[in-house]
Amino acid sequence: MRISQHWRGYGFVAPYVIHFLLFVAFPVAFSLVLVFHRWNIIAPMEFVGLGNFYRLARDTLFFRSLGNTLMFLLIHIPLQIVVALFFAELLNRRLHGRGFFRAAFFLPVIVSGVVVTILWQRLFSFDSGLLNRLLIALGLGKVGWLVDPDLAMPSIALMATWKNVGLYIVLFLVGLQSVPSHLYEAAELEGASAWQKFRHITLPMINPTVFLVVVLSTIGGFSLFIEPYILTGGGPLNRTLSAVLYIYKEGFFFYHMGYAATLGFFFALVIMLVVVLQKRVVERNVTL
Amino acid sequence: MHFGVAGIGGNSGGFHRYPKRISLAVVCGMFLLMTACAPTRQRNPNEIIFWSSNNPYEIEFARIIVAEWNRRHPQSPVRYQPVPEGQSSEEVILAAVVGRTTPDVYANMWQGDVEAFARAGVLVPLDTLPGFLDVMYQRCDSSVIQEATSQDGHIYQVPWKINPIMMLYNVRLFQAIGMERPPATYSEFLSAAEKMKADTDGDGYVDRWIGYLNVNVTWWKRLFDFYPLYLAASHGAPLVQGERVVFNNRAARRVFRFLRKLYAGNYLPRDPMEGRQDPFLTGQVATQFTGPWAVSYLEKFKPEGFQYQFAPVPVPDDHQGPIFTYGDPKNIVIFNTSPNPRLAWKFVRFMIEKENDRRFLEMTDQLPRRKNLFRDPYFQTYFRNNPRMIPFARQARYVRGTDGCPVLKEVFDAISQQFEAGVIYGVVPVEVALEMAARRVRLIL
Repeated sequence: MRISQHWRGYGFVAPYVIHFLLFVAFPVAFSLVLVFHRWNIIAPMEFVGLGNFYRLARDTLFFRSLGNTLMFLLIHIPLQIVVALFFAELLNRRLHGRGFFRAAFFLPVIVSGVVVTILWQRLFSFDSGLLNRLLIALGLGKVGWLVDPDLAMPSIALMATWKNVGLYIVLFLVGLQSVPSHLYEAAELEGASAWQKFRHITLPMINPTVFLVVVLSTIGGFSLFIEPYILTGGGPLNRTLSAVLYIYKEGFFFYHMGYAATLGFFFALVIMLVVVLQKRVVERNVTL
Repeated sequence: MHFGVAGIGGNSGGFHRYPKRISLAVVCGMFLLMTACAPTRQRNPNEIIFWSSNNPYEIEFARIIVAEWNRRHPQSPVRYQPVPEGQSSEEVILAAVVGRTTPDVYANMWQGDVEAFARAGVLVPLDTLPGFLDVMYQRCDSSVIQEATSQDGHIYQVPWKINPIMMLYNVRLFQAIGMERPPATYSEFLSAAEKMKADTDGDGYVDRWIGYLNVNVTWWKRLFDFYPLYLAASHGAPLVQGERVVFNNRAARRVFRFLRKLYAGNYLPRDPMEGRQDPFLTGQVATQFTGPWAVSYLEKFKPEGFQYQFAPVPVPDDHQGPIFTYGDPKNIVIFNTSPNPRLAWKFVRFMIEKENDRRFLEMTDQLPRRKNLFRDPYFQTYFRNNPRMIPFARQARYVRGTDGCPVLKEVFDAISQQFEAGVIYGVVPVEVALEMAARRVRLIL
C-alpha cells in the first residue's frame, strides 16, 4: 500500500538503487565470494578456503607495493597541503585577475589523468625532457626523474600534487572564507603578528577542511594507479609499483581473480585503518 | 545521520517488507537483462561465424576468402567480422568465452594463450577431426607440430602465420663506424656499440646508441629482446617443459651477461623512448629487434637516403649452426561453442590452402607457417617482387613459438622482473637474477 502511495519516491531513487545494486553491491558481494576461490575467468571456480590469505601473507611484492604507496602518501599529502594552503591564502586576497588564477589552478583537476601523465612523461624524460634540458641550460646535470629508483616515486608525487592541488585550493578557499573576520580584528587589536593570526586563528578554524583534505588525499593517494601505470609500469625495480597497480596486474594481466579480490579487501582494510588513525590525530573540534 | 533514520523509521514493518519486493524486482530485472544478453537463439549448424584480426589487411583477406567460400558453399555460409574492439583482442576473447559468445573460428590466437584456453576446455581438440593430422603433416614439419601439441597430447590450434623477430639495422650508421656488415656475434655487437656511442649535440650526454630495448617490465616486452636472443643462443630451447623450469641454463646466462655489458657500458639507454619521434628513423639508435611489420612502416616514413636491412639477432661468439629466433606465431582455433566443428574445420582447411596462403602473404606481408615456404616455387613470385621479405622467409625455417604452458605470462613476468634487476640496473649478479626468476616460476608451476 505504501508503495502505491510513494511510488514517485521509489521511482526517483530507483536509478540510484539499481546503479548501487549493479555496480557496487553485486561486485562487492561477488568479490567476497572470490576471496575464497581460485578463478581465472575461463575455467570454473575452485574453492581454496584461506589459500589466498596464505599467499598474501608470503607475498613480498605486495608488501613492497604497500610500502611504495605509503612512501607516495608521505611525500604527497604534506606537499599537497602546504602548496594548496599557500595558494589558497594568496587567492583569498585582493589581487588582479583572481578569477583567472583560481580557474588556472583548477584546470589540471579537470584534465584527464592520462593526458596529464603523458605530458609529464615528456617533461621528466631523461634524454629529451624539458626539465633536464632546463637543468643543462643552467649548467647543472641531468636528473633521472623516472629512471633513478630513488627518485621515481618522489617525481610521481610531485606530478600528482600538480594535478590535484587545484581541488584542494578550492576547499581551503572555502575554509578560509568561512573564518569570521572579527576574530582577525580582535587579534589585530591585541597586536598579533601575521604568523600568530595564521597559527592561532586560521589553522584551528580550518581544521575541518584540513581533515577533509587529508582524508581525501589519503584515499586518492591510496588509489594511485594511472601515474605509475603510464609513466613507469611500476619500475624501476618495482619502486613505483603501487598497491592498486599490483592488484590490477594480478587481476587483469594474470587473471588471478580470487587473489586480486583478496588483495583488494585487505587493501581496503588498510585504507580504513589509516583513515581512522588520521581522524583521531587530525580532527579536533573547534568551538567558538 | 539522524534525520535520515527518522524519516524512514516511522513504519518499521513496512520499511522491512517493501525493500524485499524491490530487491526481488531488481533481481528479476537483472535476470531478464542477463538472459536477454545471452545467446538464446539456436545457432544454425550449417552456418559458420569467423572472427579475423582487426588489422585492415587481414580484414580484407577475410572478406575475400569468405566471399569465395560462400560462392562455393552457399548451403553453409560463413559470417565474418573482425574481433570486436577492446583494450586487447585477448580481453575480448576472454569476455566472449565467459559469455559463451565465441565464434566458431578465430584466426589470430597468440600461441602462448592456447594452453590456458585448452585447459579450460573451451577449444575443440582439432586432432579428433577427420583429416586434420594429414593436413598438419603436409603443412608443417615435426617440430612445429610438436610445438602446437598441448600438454594433454591433443592439438588445439592450426599453426597459421609467423612474423620472425630479426635485427633491423641502419646501414649508413654502421658504415660510418667502418662496418660494412652488421654485427653477428656478441663481441662484434659490443665492439660496434662502443663505436656507435656518441654525444652528437655536445651536451655531455650520450645521444646515439647501438640499440634500444624497452625498459618496461611488462611481461610481453621480453618476447622482443630476451626471448629471441635466448632462442638464438640455445638453438631454440624451451623456457619450461611441462612442470620443469629449464631456462636457467648457460644460454640464458650468456644472454643476460651480454645485455648487462651493454647497459653497464652505457651502450643502451635506460630512458623510455616510446612516445617520441622514432629513434631508429632519426638515427639515435642503430639497431632494433623487430618483425616484418616494420617494412611497410619504414618504407612509408623513412627519410631521403635512409638505408636499412635485416639480419639475424646476435649470437655468442662460439655459436655453431642455424640461428633461431622468436616467430611471434598467431594460430587458428575452433571454439567448443561451435554447433558444427567439422564444418568449421572444413572452412579452416579451405582458409589455409596453398592458394589462400599465397593470397594472405601478398595481402598482409605476413608469412604463412608452412614448411619450405621460401623454396617453394609457388611463392617465389612474391619474394621476387618483395625482396625486403626474403630475410624473414629465410629465417622462417628457424623460428620457435612459445612453450605450451598455462602460466606462460607469469614465466615471462618472472624473467622480466629479474631482467630489470640483473640486466638493466645490475643490482644483482645475472646468475642470481636467473636463479631468482627460476625459483619464482617453480613456485608458480
